[in-house]
Amino acid sequence: MIEISVHKKLWSSTGEVSLDLDLTIKEGSFLTIYGKSGAGKTSFLRILTGLLKPEEGHIRVYGKTWLDSQRGINLSPQKRGVGFVFQDYALFPNMTVEENLFFALKKGQDRKTIQELIEVMELGELRHLPPQSLSGGQKQRTALARALVQRPQLLLLDEPLSALDAGMRTKLQQLILQIHREYHLTTLLVSHDAPEILKLSSEVILLEEGKVTKRGAPIEFFTHKRVSGKFQFTGEVLKIERQDFIFIVTLLIGQDVVRVVADESEVRELAPGDKVLVASKAFNPILGKLKIETVSR
Amino acid sequence: MNSLQGEIESIQAQGALSLVKIMVPGAVLSTVVIDTPATAPYLVSSGKIQVLFKETEVIIAKGADLAISLQNRLRGVISSIEHGELLGKLTIETQAGEITSIITTNAIRQLKLVQGDQVTAMIKTNEIMLSP
Repeated sequence: MIEISVHKKLWSSTGEVSLDLDLTIKEGSFLTIYGKSGAGKTSFLRILTGLLKPEEGHIRVYGKTWLDSQRGINLSPQKRGVGFVFQDYALFPNMTVEENLFFALKKGQDRKTIQELIEVMELGELRHLPPQSLSGGQKQRTALARALVQRPQLLLLDEPLSALDAGMRTKLQQLILQIHREYHLTTLLVSHDAPEILKLSSEVILLEEGKVTKRGAPIEFFTHKRVSGKFQFTGEVLKIERQDFIFIVTLLIGQDVVRVVADESEVRELAPGDKVLVASKAFNPILGKLKIETVSR
Repeated sequence: MNSLQGEIESIQAQGALSLVKIMVPGAVLSTVVIDTPATAPYLVSSGKIQVLFKETEVIIAKGADLAISLQNRLRGVISSIEHGELLGKLTIETQAGEITSIITTNAIRQLKLVQGDQVTAMIKTNEIMLSP
């Protein structure tokens, strides 16, 4: 369990904001922080890393005190074991991909960690390149790998994918999810992208003017219409074709393209690129086990 | 998507499933959902609820005294018909509100359906979704 209770005055473009956070986060959860700019999202993450010191409060992570203003405890960022990924990558420009990763290695830590991360993040062919010759997605894969070098207990992602194109975003979302599950890594994400939040998070909090004003399941945040249908997905409209008076809507759901028959009343406000809730009763789908042949090496 | 306003009359829960009866003007509709009052807070007796079902799930019959297993029946009058090559769209005025049915053009022809006909629109119990 992570217990956070902090207070800090912030100055944003709209004036003074009092950041008052009082929340607990379950170990292994994927929590997204959602809210307008200036609400205190990044400050929240920076307080967790130890880069920003609150006026008062305490932070306990899995039973260990990171911050206790009354007892004068404030662990340095190095001692907190937090992985942090920013939108702007923050890689060292004078080092190669591999050197960036080695730089994060603690004294006495096994060098094999680097090799493992290079494989997981598919950085093998890029290891000797400097950051400026990498694409946005490659840079962010490197930054993510670097954040994981010290085997953090907590991974903080501050809009890590917002500068990337849609295809690369999807790929990195998959990677983040894979890391989160494999390492059972408690992850906090700042994001504005509804499909991304729905895909990744187990829980969402809404931060407004420094306060948590709403907390709940992602689906409660982003669907105006809650429906009982259990076969529910969020998708993106790719194409809408009219056939007589019905419409065939082609949707991208995750990596799959599906087609749905819709009535005029459903497509009236839709255009390609729109995000939609796709819901059906759970009584209709049929299941068939796939036979996957295991390939021996 | 068809959407009717109703009020929950009763909820019969067993395991993960519930059979929910909803009063709409002129009829009682029932649906089976994978939810119970414990998992879905909107499942409360007398609660206002929206009944949702797809146009393509609405079955049309002529006449009233039907020997058929379908429990969800809405009597109404066809207010308009659109004909496509394969499919046709019927708009039906019922006491509960306007509903739309999409059936094959062959079926429209076979039943000799025309504007102004009295029909019974039916929906299978497992095709109805609920929304608070």
